[in-house]
Amino acid sequence: MQQAKTNPTPLMYERGTREDRIMKRVFLSPAVIILLSLSIFPLFWSLGISFTDILRGGSTTAREAAMTAEGPSGFLGMDFSVTLRNYERLLEDERLHSAARNTLYYVFIGVTVQYILGLALAVVLNQNFIGRNVVRVIFLMPMMTVPVVVGYTGRMMFDSYRSPLADFLRRFAEWANGLPLGLHINPTVPFLTDGSWARATIVAMDTWQWVPFVTLILLAGMQAIPDDIYEAARVDGANSWQMFWRITFPILLPLSVTVILIRGLEIFKIIDVIVVTTGGGPGSATESLTMYIYKTALTFGNYGYAAAISFVLLILVIIFATVFLTLARRAAPRGMY
Amino acid sequence: MRRSVWQTILLYALIAFWCFIVLFPYYWLGTTSFKKPLDALRFPKYIPYHDFQPTTEHWEYLLKVRWDVTWRHFRNSLIAASGSTFLAVLVGAMAGYGLSRFQYYWRALRWRNDNIAFWIISQRFLPPALFVVPFLIAYADLGLIDKHVGLIIAYTMFNIPFAVWIMRDFFDGLPVELEDSARVDGATRWGAFTRIVLPLSAPGVASVAIFSFVFSWNEYLYALMLTNFDAITMPVYIAGQNTQRGVEWWYISALAITAVLPVILVGLLLERFITRGLVAGALKG
Repeated sequence: MQQAKTNPTPLMYERGTREDRIMKRVFLSPAVIILLSLSIFPLFWSLGISFTDILRGGSTTAREAAMTAEGPSGFLGMDFSVTLRNYERLLEDERLHSAARNTLYYVFIGVTVQYILGLALAVVLNQNFIGRNVVRVIFLMPMMTVPVVVGYTGRMMFDSYRSPLADFLRRFAEWANGLPLGLHINPTVPFLTDGSWARATIVAMDTWQWVPFVTLILLAGMQAIPDDIYEAARVDGANSWQMFWRITFPILLPLSVTVILIRGLEIFKIIDVIVVTTGGGPGSATESLTMYIYKTALTFGNYGYAAAISFVLLILVIIFATVFLTLARRAAPRGMY
Repeated sequence: MRRSVWQTILLYALIAFWCFIVLFPYYWLGTTSFKKPLDALRFPKYIPYHDFQPTTEHWEYLLKVRWDVTWRHFRNSLIAASGSTFLAVLVGAMAGYGLSRFQYYWRALRWRNDNIAFWIISQRFLPPALFVVPFLIAYADLGLIDKHVGLIIAYTMFNIPFAVWIMRDFFDGLPVELEDSARVDGATRWGAFTRIVLPLSAPGVASVAIFSFVFSWNEYLYALMLTNFDAITMPVYIAGQNTQRGVEWWYISALAITAVLPVILVGLLLERFITRGLVAGALKG
């Protein structure tokens, strides 16, 4: 019999009284039932829908069938007569491909920037300084801010003409162009109106909000490293740079993998910041997959196709998690996981 | 470790710089909510009474003239967030307790406690967009669209995995002896759970509650999808300001502060539970 993983004391409930045999199920069932009915069942239902042409207000084929007095057929009102049409459309939908590219851009650039910045800030915060508790509290604020508000604030910060940032750039450009260097810096940056700038700006906003998360977790990891390891290294003549790369970084590696994975999976869900900053524009240059799914389902009312796209998102998420974990396992020293 | 003067200066400069980056947007929201439209729309004005004359008219508009509208959305957010938080904590604590104290074996899947726990936490990482279509259809059929209950159900589902994960971790650290002695004294298993275990794990409950509350308070996609008037929450209401009569930055700023302030205040008061929950979530994940 395999013991329950973590409980140090041997469980006395193994044999179990009658009450315990019942209570055991009572405790776990609500969560399992909720997840089965609201997560697993919808998942398979959605898979079914993705093979149909259900629109808002029912399936077109089903409606035609009803008119010829045959009545709707199939499971849950689904009619599978169009089967693979949605999946064929996935292949040639340019807008979907651009949404997928954008989402991957957000995930990869976002995770990289947030991890590097978060690690650097964790190193900084791990030092002793006055006001450390205040700074920790300040750090938490962006994480709890409504993303929609982050988006609006970001729009005020990144306006090309009227924002404090634009003001700063203008003053900087005036000063730099005035220097005898022959510079001609254009202070007007299309932060939200040019496709590639807008994508970067959205990553910047997400970074502003979530770097604290990365930092706090890595900081907790750093503080759990016993001091004597560093003492021993110092006796052997290691400098701080070497100590960071030879001790801190390797020890934090498993934690880093988790943090990066969590952030990556979270960024796959991005929608709210984009909706209020660019609305997916210019054109569809900043649209994410979640946003495209939402628009397909609600604005265009095409439920079948929206369901098919959501499986593209799921497959991307699974590939990301698998590839990343495989790479992390390969890169880590033997026996680490 | 000994630091040189320059290293100390660099350290404080970096910290100050990042604090500035974090805090400045809040400062900007705050000042914008007191700016007259012309001051907000032209060149940036930084310091009240120096660069611009502050006005409280937007706050009066928000809190007096349009109070019923503001309050309706605020209340909707409050109901959805607290309802789902309560359910997620209850169901999550129960499942966490079960997984920590009993041995399960699902014969069909050959799953034991760890497999079940992993399955539950993996639900958290499924993109919510996957369920958009089934939820839309089911909610329309069941008449749950634009109902508080509808949002509460959806958010409970999203919050449960994390709640189970954290609570299980917490219960694993609680000694079994306390419950045992209560049971010897004649308490039922359920009585021991509600009267002994839950009160002792108040810190764990607190961090689960904060995370669930903040998630539900901030959630946008499902609130947008499943509501259209009566049950609209703050984030959806704020996002909707985008199109009406152009963007009224001053009004949006005041609204944004109303939406953000309660969460941040609660968060700052309960800061240690947040850090604890984050770390527990990541270390075990």
